[in-house]
Amino acid sequence: MSLTTQGLRLDFRDPAGRDIRVLDIAEFTAQDGRLTVITGPSGSGKSTLLHVLSGLLLPDAGQVRWRGAQITALGEGARDRWRRRNVGMVFQNFHLIDELSPLDNVLAPGWFDRFSVGGLRARAAALLQDFDVPQARGRLAHLSRGEQQRVALARALLFDPPLILADEPTASLDRVAGATVIDRLRTLADAGRTVLAVSHEPDLIAAAGIVLRLERGRLSPQAVAA
Amino acid sequence: MNPLPIAWTLLKANRLTSLLFLFLFLVLIAIAVALGVAITAQERALRDGSARAAQPFDLIVAAPGSRMEVMFNVVYLRASAVEMLPNEIVTQLMGERGVEFAAPLAFGDNAGGYPIVGTITDLVTHLGGVAEGASFTERAHAVAGADTPFAVGDSIVSAHGDGSSDQGDHGEMAVVGRLAPTGTVWDRAVLVPIEFMWEAHSLATGHADPDAPIGPPYDPAFIGGVPALVVKPADLPTAYGLRQSYRTERSTAFFPAEVLAEIYGYLGDVRSIMNLLTIATQVLVVAAILAGIVALMQLYRTRLAVLRALGATRSFVFLVMWVYVMALILGGAVLGLAGGWGVAGAISSVFAAETGMNLRATLGGEEFALVGTLLGLGALLAALPAWALFRKPPVAFLR
Repeated sequence: MSLTTQGLRLDFRDPAGRDIRVLDIAEFTAQDGRLTVITGPSGSGKSTLLHVLSGLLLPDAGQVRWRGAQITALGEGARDRWRRRNVGMVFQNFHLIDELSPLDNVLAPGWFDRFSVGGLRARAAALLQDFDVPQARGRLAHLSRGEQQRVALARALLFDPPLILADEPTASLDRVAGATVIDRLRTLADAGRTVLAVSHEPDLIAAAGIVLRLERGRLSPQAVAA
Repeated sequence: MNPLPIAWTLLKANRLTSLLFLFLFLVLIAIAVALGVAITAQERALRDGSARAAQPFDLIVAAPGSRMEVMFNVVYLRASAVEMLPNEIVTQLMGERGVEFAAPLAFGDNAGGYPIVGTITDLVTHLGGVAEGASFTERAHAVAGADTPFAVGDSIVSAHGDGSSDQGDHGEMAVVGRLAPTGTVWDRAVLVPIEFMWEAHSLATGHADPDAPIGPPYDPAFIGGVPALVVKPADLPTAYGLRQSYRTERSTAFFPAEVLAEIYGYLGDVRSIMNLLTIATQVLVVAAILAGIVALMQLYRTRLAVLRALGATRSFVFLVMWVYVMALILGGAVLGLAGGWGVAGAISSVFAAETGMNLRATLGGEEFALVGTLLGLGALLAALPAWALFRKPPVAFLR
């Protein structure tokens, strides 16, 4: 059990100054080798949960543990470094850098901890090839949206992280492109990674090994696929 | 870590808005630096040029009056009406012991717009001598300055006044020599025997015998009028002695450096005020640029938040932004330094064309110190956009 949480609680303050409970999760475990999907209505706190699990946001109370280490007890810099090495983040809008080639987008996280990314170039190229991205050195704008999301997936895997956190990864893709991404996420989970996605997409929910529903900050099992 | 590639990517981002911002930043910084450079370099060029122009003139003796006016007449050939020295003082001074030469001067005519100065051959020699031909030996001979268009053998016509209007001819002269370049307004002058000037104005020509050869000694009864003399004392004590002796009710004597010191004093006061204005302008420009960059950063905030989500530390993102802002400031400063130098050079050229004074606008320690201050200030203030961006957590910009 790589990723666990305990007594997670987070409040946001609304413009009127009232505290609103966004997360109130007694216990949660993301299983290794499974694709877990968290669904729920808009504004239910799904993305916020991903931010807390990734160490980007600290909860008001509770713990996030990764392989026994308490992530929430780490300082900001240590959490950043942990996230860089252990977490692959995927976003609904890809968040690629338009001015960079697909290859340089994949290599971008490399600049965070080394002066030269020459040693990572071969891996980045192999990832793009594996994800069927043509023109690794071409212009990003020439790629389809599905291809761009696959570039984002390749970027998330640059440091071969064991944990993948995906925020609505298929929401801005058509069904065919979405199916490819879902297939990739399943493959990553099948390879032993912990893959956690938040989504409304029925196809992604159907492909998940575990589906949980987040509503008013609380998690509850929704269904378990075969 | 290496923030340079990401900072470079932000810099070359081809969004129209970003490019517009970048262009405005560069222009603003260039104007701020150019203003500072133009003022300091120009002021220094003016000092150097004016000092160089005054260098050949050790001591000036003239009729009582404004020393500055005499100075502008003699050193910078800015024609104006000045009083004449009593003739006996002219001959007395020319006969003083310890004086290598005392060259009388006469102004008021021009040849094709170039000022004619009546004097003696000693001054021609003292100014560096002729580079071509010979000095004048006859009344109708002329030695042309290095920046005049007249060649040896040319015949030129002397006209009354400064050449701004047709005020009648005084006769022809033959150019017999060209002065070696002096780097002063005298390069635009035409030097003629002072006897020619006197004769042209129907005055006595210095000698009882109208056919006497040109040059001293002059008979005080026949001197046509001398507003000033350039004196070359043999040594420093003599120079001070003469300066003291000829400060009387009937004459004044001064070292050009004295008057220059006064002028520099005024220049310095003006420059101090201008410098304050320049600094204030630069501070305002830096503030405007930073405000613009904070606004520009809003365009990049999602990208920078994504970098954090991908594992970049706060310090990495801070460095990206710092490098980005510093690159703009550095680019603007270099462009501004070049622009300021160009502006100062252009002003010098216009001034030199107007006055004949050879001004050289050069970049010196002051300009580099100015740019260094701007860069240092920029390096500190470049941290502000980073601070402004991180007042909100990066997750606020991730959707």
